[in-house]
Amino acid sequence: MIDLFEAYHNVIDLCLLNSVLAYGCFLLLGVNLFSLATGGLMAIGAYLSIWLTMQQGWAFAPALLAAAVAASLAALGLGSLVLRLRGDYFTMATLAFTEVVRIIALNWNSVTGGALGIFGIPKLAETWQLALLLVLVIYLVWAVRSSGIGERMRAVAADELAVSTAGYDVAHFKLAIFTVSGAIAGLGGGLAAHLNMFVAPGDFGFLRSFDTVIAPVLGGAWNIAGPVIGATLLTVLPEALRFSAQMREILVGSALLVAVLFLPTGVASLPTVLRRKWSI
Amino acid sequence: MLLQQFVNGLSLGAVYAVFAIGFSLVFGVMNVLNLSQGAVFMWGAYVGLEVVRNLALPLPLAILAAGIAAGLLGVLSELLVFRPLQRRGANRWMGMVGSLALARILIGLAQEIFGTQVVRYPDNALAGAAIDLFGARLQLLQVVAIGVAFTMVVALAALLRFSNLGRAIRTVAFSESVARLVGIPVDRVRLATFFVSGALAGGAGVLWSLLFQSVSPFMGDSILLKGLTVMILGGLGNIVGALVGGLLLGLVEVASIVAVGSGYRDAIGFGLVLLILVTRPTGLFATRETKRA
Repeated sequence: MIDLFEAYHNVIDLCLLNSVLAYGCFLLLGVNLFSLATGGLMAIGAYLSIWLTMQQGWAFAPALLAAAVAASLAALGLGSLVLRLRGDYFTMATLAFTEVVRIIALNWNSVTGGALGIFGIPKLAETWQLALLLVLVIYLVWAVRSSGIGERMRAVAADELAVSTAGYDVAHFKLAIFTVSGAIAGLGGGLAAHLNMFVAPGDFGFLRSFDTVIAPVLGGAWNIAGPVIGATLLTVLPEALRFSAQMREILVGSALLVAVLFLPTGVASLPTVLRRKWSI
Repeated sequence: MLLQQFVNGLSLGAVYAVFAIGFSLVFGVMNVLNLSQGAVFMWGAYVGLEVVRNLALPLPLAILAAGIAAGLLGVLSELLVFRPLQRRGANRWMGMVGSLALARILIGLAQEIFGTQVVRYPDNALAGAAIDLFGARLQLLQVVAIGVAFTMVVALAALLRFSNLGRAIRTVAFSESVARLVGIPVDRVRLATFFVSGALAGGAGVLWSLLFQSVSPFMGDSILLKGLTVMILGGLGNIVGALVGGLLLGLVEVASIVAVGSGYRDAIGFGLVLLILVTRPTGLFATRETKRA
């Protein structure tokens, strides 16, 4: 067991981190928001926390806290501008945000190291911290979903107009959820930066945002275990297919496509689907 | 100098426009974002290159072959991703995820078949001449690219305006249930739309690889983002908007390289997107899709 952990602890760390990030998107999918802002918000958290630990001599915990606060403020600002956009327009606006942040990071050499990135970041993030954070995030998401807020989230997802006609302030409700998801992305960014000892602006682009939001879709956007399942699959599958970069793309793409086509409610629904098939 | 930069911007913008029009057509008719379009563009570039290299056919035939091959890939994305999802009444983000998964498969296949190196057209296939005009040196290639791009746009406009297929496509874009009521074979029209859209992407792929002398499996990623940018500038699903938006983005990018250097070139496009979405979400040339934003 210890050997297994030693051999794969990089992959385990990444699974934990990606799962945490996936819960940020999971919350947003719960109110029908398909956001691609994760990359940009992560970048804000990552670069701020690196700057604080490496250049200002802060300890890791306050730096992480600052990263979460900064990213949630950024999400608050972004959200108050773009949340009134519907559907694909919202998705595109969040994508534009991520790309703008990435390009600023690419050019702001004194803080981000430009295209070359920052080397020699102290490895402060530990596996137990990631695991603890994941447990905490899952508990919080679970608590939110089983409270009145979760009830209202499901109502907004089902029919936003009806909820706002009933007198609820849907706009501020969505903004609050977007801000919370921003905090999760910022925390994730800070942790990611202190996990790899190296970051570059390319780590926080379009693909990062997409992989994060695909995780809950793949795992199951309406199942509390969905994000963990999806993020784990999306992290482990490419690692397991290391032997060939080309086959990896093809197989990961095929797996994703099959899941989208045949498992409408994600991999988490697989047991139910199979049980139903066999019992009939 | 100024004229030269203008032509640089125009040829870049013309390629953006052709790509974005294909993108916009599918959005306007089916109301879906087909994120495999970038990979289709890349495949068009490779097919054109292989036709020139191995069959030694002239460029116009290469563009035609690339267009047909890419069009078939467009049809594939409808058959494999969008039609099953629509039948199921799946959530709209499923189409984005599914088409992006298809793009990954197409990129992986291209790596497997063509290798990961950047390749270029053989020199003898190119129109290498330059034209001197008012002291500016214009590459003949750029002029050809602009010409081909405009021919494609005009051909599409004529198809949409005057042919039966074009009328059917416009009816489906207006409302699918109305189209069914008047007896239009909606499924076939959708397939044709995806074919046209893919063909435009493939043609744009060949033009791009000629202009920039590079073909690689990953060339579709950046054009996909450009296509999204142009579509927002012009308004989602607005074809005239995509044409003007594409030319505008090309010119703005070249102008920004001259003004502030190449580092922020892409930021200007996306900055414009944010600005437009916040102030005029239906694009610069808003017409009827006000209700969608």
